[in-house]
This record gives sequence, structure tokens and C-alpha cells, in this order.
Amino acid sequence: MQAVEYFEVECKEPAGAAAYKQIANDVLLDHNLLKVIYKLHIFIDPEVPIFVAVAKLNRVTSLIRVGDFADINPQEGKMTLVIANETYLAPMLKIFWERFGKDHVEQPDRFTVVLYDVKATPKEIEEIVVADPSEPLGKDLIYAFRLIAPEGFRLRQEIHTRTTMSFVASEDPLPEDVDKLVKEKFALMEETP
Amino acid sequence: MTLVPVTYKGGIHQHDIVISLIEDLGGYIVQKHMIAQEVVLQAFVPREDIDLIARISKPLFGEISESPLVGTEIAVVSMSLEIHHLPHPSCDFAEYARRIGAKTNMVSPARGPGKRISTINDEERDVINEHDIAVYAFGNFETCIKHKWPAMHRGVDVPIVVMGGPDKETLERIIDPPADGYVGNVGRFMRRTKEADELSKLDEIVAEVTRVLEKKRQQIAKDPLSIQPARLMEVVREQVPAILDVTSPTPLTVQMAGLRVKLPYDTFAEPIRQIDLGDGIHLKDLAEVVPSRMRDYILVKILPFSETNTVI
Repeated sequence: MQAVEYFEVECKEPAGAAAYKQIANDVLLDHNLLKVIYKLHIFIDPEVPIFVAVAKLNRVTSLIRVGDFADINPQEGKMTLVIANETYLAPMLKIFWERFGKDHVEQPDRFTVVLYDVKATPKEIEEIVVADPSEPLGKDLIYAFRLIAPEGFRLRQEIHTRTTMSFVASEDPLPEDVDKLVKEKFALMEETP
Repeated sequence: MTLVPVTYKGGIHQHDIVISLIEDLGGYIVQKHMIAQEVVLQAFVPREDIDLIARISKPLFGEISESPLVGTEIAVVSMSLEIHHLPHPSCDFAEYARRIGAKTNMVSPARGPGKRISTINDEERDVINEHDIAVYAFGNFETCIKHKWPAMHRGVDVPIVVMGGPDKETLERIIDPPADGYVGNVGRFMRRTKEADELSKLDEIVAEVTRVLEKKRQQIAKDPLSIQPARLMEVVREQVPAILDVTSPTPLTVQMAGLRVKLPYDTFAEPIRQIDLGDGIHLKDLAEVVPSRMRDYILVKILPFSETNTVI
């Protein structure tokens, strides 16, 4: 697992900064998101008040394919798939049903799926893409930062791309130059938004 | 005879011996928990008889210890009931205090979080005022605590212990007008308190709460109550049998100067006022029976000796 390269909390109150560093660490760890983050900078000014979090993300490129979690045993007229990890079972079945029809797909028990008379080679089935783990990542990250930010800060601007994330929150309307602020914080990590 | 709050822990076997002993000595059982093979009693017993109880319960593997929070009701004021503040640290403290005998309730203002926007309304204020003490769980920034304190404590006349992220000295400096107690370095955090240093922090809060309550106790002792709340609890249990059918964990909650009766006010206020305390004295002569702002419960506020000229 890649470690977080840069993790700073910037705040005028040292005690508050230390507390928020701990909170951010605990929340990201609980949500299993630390491995996603490459660099993270949090800026809090309780006097304005404003909370800014900017992050550079690790690239999660690997797509989940059927071959990653299932063994395929071709037999006469059918193929038996032995599932090692159930996480992606539901999306896989959905794809099979759409592609081959429900008549050709059977699931005798939790860890076995049998395909009857399908027009595909085992190799092709192994290559079917089941899920893209980076897709819900942005949403998960934003959710985590809603927990990290002080609760009263309910006016938010949340932006996430595949490689960066920025989160600004305040209890008053956000200032107009908030993009400039986000850019400044990215610059502190030697990154661009 | 001074009654002191104690906790008794022991096996379930023959624990009724201990219960009748406490009652025979003139003590009162406030709460009784049966957890698997163990019994935990929270009680008031005469100070000079603690050794006797310890001696008699020794063959039953019972232990008795003083626990000053027994017979108190504490409001833990969490800034919200969102995941930001619960279950840590508010529930952690509430649960810890409960384990050593206090009855804790979580109170959370509808608009608690934030700096400029936080405030409490009259219902929340009244609910807090029905407790013996309030413990405010604030956040991590001194700027915010300083800003929201005047709004959050407005109208609250019970003692307040403030816990917050900045250290104790900073809290004492920024909280104006002053609170009754302060515990620093416990702001918002999102992990369970289980390490030794975190648990000692909880002990520190308990110590501060105990100190403030002790002051209140001394004040009450100067003008004693007309009837002991624990004794009143026994009487209500005898004379209002409907209380025995209430399924709340504590149908009768003992406070330092009162009693919360978890029965509907409209139906049961009059029978409670008419409770006979002997010699022609009724409860209405010694206490105010008022509706509680918590559900439709009844709150019995016991009057001091100076107002009734009677002590039972």
C-alpha cells in the first residue's frame, strides 16, 4: 500500500490543528481511503470561518474483471465459475443476464455460477469488466470530508476529478475568491488543481 | 445518620441478603442491575455501616465502594446528534458516568453546531435545567467556543462543566461569564476512548463533575431537604403501584433535590401530590409536583426545610 506522501493541517490554533489531523486520520482510516490519497492539505480558519481540504489522489487504474475473482472450468456445453470473492458477484450476474439471458445463467449456490450454451470462450469471459473501483471513490471521499469538516459548516463546494479533490466549507456564504484559495493550497503541495 | 452513595457489585447468589441488610440499616436502593451472574446495586447507605455491609457481603464475593455520582442526573449536552459528535466523545462520557452510578441523559440542541449559527431554544434550556448538572461537550477551536458560549448557556441555571479541545487554562480564559468546571483537551474526536490516557481523561471529567456536585451538595446540606429523594422514591413505589408497570430502565430517577417520575402528568400528578407521608402530611406540602419538559413525565421538586418547616 502506498503511504500518504504529504499530510498537513494548517490552522492558527495549534491545538485545533493537532485535533483535526487526528480526526482526518481516523475518518480516512475508518473509510479505508488513506490508500487513495497521495497528498492532502487541510486549511482551517475558525475566525472567517472556513475549512478547505485539497488532495491529490493516487491513480486507481485497475478495472475488476471476472478473471480476478473467479476460476472458470469449461465443460461439455457449460462453464462452471468458482467464485473466490463475493464482492462483485451481483454486478457480474447482472452483466451475464444482460449478455446471455437468464435462461443460460444459473447459480446453484453462493460460490458457484454455471453458464449453459454461451457463445463465448473462457478467455473472453475472464476479460469481462465487472466494476470500476475508482467510480464511487469521489463520492466516498467527499462523504468522508463532510465528516471531517466542522458540522456547522454547511455551505460547501465539492469538486473531484480522477486525480484531484477539493472541498471548501463554511457556515457563511463562501467568499468569491475561493478558487484562488484552493489554488494556493494546491501550490503548497506543489500540485495544480 | 449521613447517607452516602455507594455501588455494590457481587454475585447473584444470595444477593437478597445484601438488599435486606441495606434496607434494614435505613439505606435505599436506587438502582438494581442484574447482568448475567452479577448484580450491581446503586444505593444510599449510612456512612458508619459501610464496613458492616462489606463484612457481611465478603463471603458472597461482594464489593462495596463509594461512588459520588449515584443519585444524580447529568445532562450531557452534545452539540448535535450527528455522527460528527456521536458516539465519540459524548456517548463515551455518558456511558462511563453511567457505569459509576450517574443517570446521564443526552441533550442536543437542534441548532447546536457551528460558531455564529449555534443557539438553544426554550425547550432545550428547560430540559437541561431539569438536571443536577450539565456537561457541555464543545469542539476543538477556542475561537468557536468563545463565540458560541454566551448563546449556549443563556438561561441555564444548573452548574455547567465545560469540556473542549483547548487546554484548561485557555478554556478558563475564554469562557465568559465563567462556568463551574473545566476539562481541557477533550474536543471532538472520532475514535473510541480505550487507551489508558484516554480513559484517564474520562476520569478527569468525572472528578471535575464530582467536585462541582460536591459544592452543590454542601449548599443543599445548609438548608436540608424536607424529604430525602431516595426515601421519596421508596414511598412512591409503595403508594403509586402503576410505577411498577413502567418499562423504562429507571422509572423513578433520583436527583439531588428531586425525583423524576416516568408516568403521565395528567393522570398521576394528583395521586402523587396526595401521597401520605404520615402524621397528616402529604407530598404536596413538601414538594412541587410539576410537568417535566421531557415527554409527559412528572418532576417532583422537593422543597427545603426553610420553606416547609418539616423534615421527614
